[in-house]
Amino acid sequence: MLTDDWDWDIQDRVITDIDEWKRRYPIVQECSVSDDGERIAAIVETAPQKATVCINGNPWETEYEKIWSLKFSPDSRAVCSVLRNYEWTLAVDNVLWTEPYDFVWNITISPDGKNMAATVKKENAHTVAQNGRTWGISFPEARDLAMSPDGKRVATRVKTKRLASLDIFGFAENILTVAADEKAWDRNFLSIWGIAFSFDSSRVAAGVRLDKTVFTIAVDGNTWDATFAGIWEPLFHPRTHDVAAPVKTPRGWTLAMNGKTVWERCFTQVWHQRYSTDGEKITAVIAPGFGKWTVAVDGSPWTRTFSDAVLYPAFSPDHQRVAALVKEKNRWTVAVDGTPWPVDFDMIWEAVFSPDSSHIAVKAERNGLYMIVLDGKPDTHAYEALWNPIFSPDGEKLLIRCIENGKYCRKVVKVNDIA
Amino acid sequence: MIKVERRPVSDPGIDENAKKLTPEQIEGVIRHVLEKESAGRLRTFVETCIHCGLCSDACHYYLAYKRDPSYSPVAKVRLTLWDMIRRKYRVDAESIKMYARISYAECNICKRCSMYCPFGIDIAYLMTVVRRICGLLGVVPQYLQDQGNSHMYTYSQSWVPQDDWVDTALWLEDELRMDIRNGRIPFDKEGAEVMYSPHSLEAKFKTNLLTNIAKIMNVAGVDWTMPSFDGWDSTNQAMHVGDYETMGMVERMHFEAAMRLKVKKIITSE
Ligand code: SF4
Ligand code: SF4
Repeated sequence: MLTDDWDWDIQDRVITDIDEWKRRYPIVQECSVSDDGERIAAIVETAPQKATVCINGNPWETEYEKIWSLKFSPDSRAVCSVLRNYEWTLAVDNVLWTEPYDFVWNITISPDGKNMAATVKKENAHTVAQNGRTWGISFPEARDLAMSPDGKRVATRVKTKRLASLDIFGFAENILTVAADEKAWDRNFLSIWGIAFSFDSSRVAAGVRLDKTVFTIAVDGNTWDATFAGIWEPLFHPRTHDVAAPVKTPRGWTLAMNGKTVWERCFTQVWHQRYSTDGEKITAVIAPGFGKWTVAVDGSPWTRTFSDAVLYPAFSPDHQRVAALVKEKNRWTVAVDGTPWPVDFDMIWEAVFSPDSSHIAVKAERNGLYMIVLDGKPDTHAYEALWNPIFSPDGEKLLIRCIENGKYCRKVVKVNDIA
Repeated sequence: MIKVERRPVSDPGIDENAKKLTPEQIEGVIRHVLEKESAGRLRTFVETCIHCGLCSDACHYYLAYKRDPSYSPVAKVRLTLWDMIRRKYRVDAESIKMYARISYAECNICKRCSMYCPFGIDIAYLMTVVRRICGLLGVVPQYLQDQGNSHMYTYSQSWVPQDDWVDTALWLEDELRMDIRNGRIPFDKEGAEVMYSPHSLEAKFKTNLLTNIAKIMNVAGVDWTMPSFDGWDSTNQAMHVGDYETMGMVERMHFEAAMRLKVKKIITSE
């Protein structure tokens, strides 16, 4: 999250010398970088059972026995799980949550950085802690954590009953559901996955299995009337409470909304649906046949297909273009509106649109070096490490967060100067 | 007629669940699997086999049971699929128990027999069709069904909680460092070359195996990682249950974990 006063006029700034960290500490783990590019952090270990977080070359004052899951919040605070005196808790810029736990995982942060939550283990049970406050209810087990867009609500997949080992009959009575706001849904299911919140944070949906071949979507615990032979993760419309999910019908996979199929065509596979921000269009990864992957927009597939994989189609901000990562013959590139870029890479990261939708930038890797690729043209400059590029609000500049010659830099380059 | 002699074995997953079956349910599931789900090759295989028995010596069950013909690959098909087809899918719960015993416990889907068959008949595939029928009817050995249930919730086969998985590896890293100075078991390293995907047991009862792999990775200088999130377990017992719905979900989780971590290879263990 870049603040409004973030200075796009400073071109290059070396923030810290990572090679120097490596001389200072026996172990420097993987680096994380803040969204604004100003901070870089890594878990560093000075001796056995002595770990801390180093940010821009400055270690935290406290040492912990163990640290894991380090990341930056969107407002650039370093967040991780820390172990001290055999108790885990969450640390935010080295300020600890007051309660200790047996473990802390699934650290989840709201888009504005103000709300944080995690699944936690305490007294041999699982529960959730939100902003340092533990839920007043616990479960034999909790897995995954989803947070509402406003950051106020979280939901997790829970087991409501502790079963003896090999108790297949107990499992058949349905012991799985969603817990949100310190309460499990009233109804349990054979299986449950893919928790999603509505745009206004008021509703929670998940995919559920009612019986061996009977699947549907549950919203706040209430299932759709229609059932299907298979279903993938639900997604709420960005402006309404409509829920879209890929469903398996006798004709194949297609897209359904609120229990009714909305695309005419069926495919061998449909998943990873995504709405345009105005909610007028929906795209998804589809397979028109085995070993053939592509993207469909409102049910119409691109003509070009890809043999290996297609990932995460996304609309441009003006909703007119769709970009996806595509893999063919073990090489990755970006395809825009069905046309792949004429270059390929060993690996590629999520495509980023400029605010005016005219440019697409990605991080890509070739032969162990990383580069920015803009509209299909690889930058001549390659880096030892690179994070996803960020466009300036006017779309004319790119923030590049990179490591070169062992030093972490944040650079601002003009889009016109690339390639 | 093949003479079938078997010592009685009780398994609650098979015996108790078979008691709940109705004739309509049995007929409906067999019809669904054989007529709606199974590929055209099913009928071709069933109709092409000339019962020559050339495939028998490939089967370790047949050899282990002193060449008892009822353990030969072709007998397994005769005693299951042919039986259902011949009786127009109207078979009783006792037959389903027999099919479950043969398909789950007397064939391990190794496909050796199909290497010997002059027509390339895939007996292992036919046994998976029988397992699918038994799986949909819920007549599955208890231990296997439990692993399938675990996959439904955890995507791993042995009910490993998410915290245990990470916590275990963090402590194994300490053990690793007794042998390898500054050794690491790196989680969620985006862009690593390799995602190591262990067998579920490496996170539970056989953790020394995971330490061994970590030693190899560290000494060989492999740029490796493992997901801290679901999708790390390389096994898929739902496939063996005949629960293809869960099987698909587990495989998807597995490959999507690798794609999320931006690795180029998955290395699995067995
Ligand atoms: S696939 Fe089954 S029948 Fe064939 S050899 Fe293997 S165990 Fe025997
Ligand atoms: S499966 Fe093939 S080898 Fe075996 S009996 Fe039938 S035809 Fe012969």
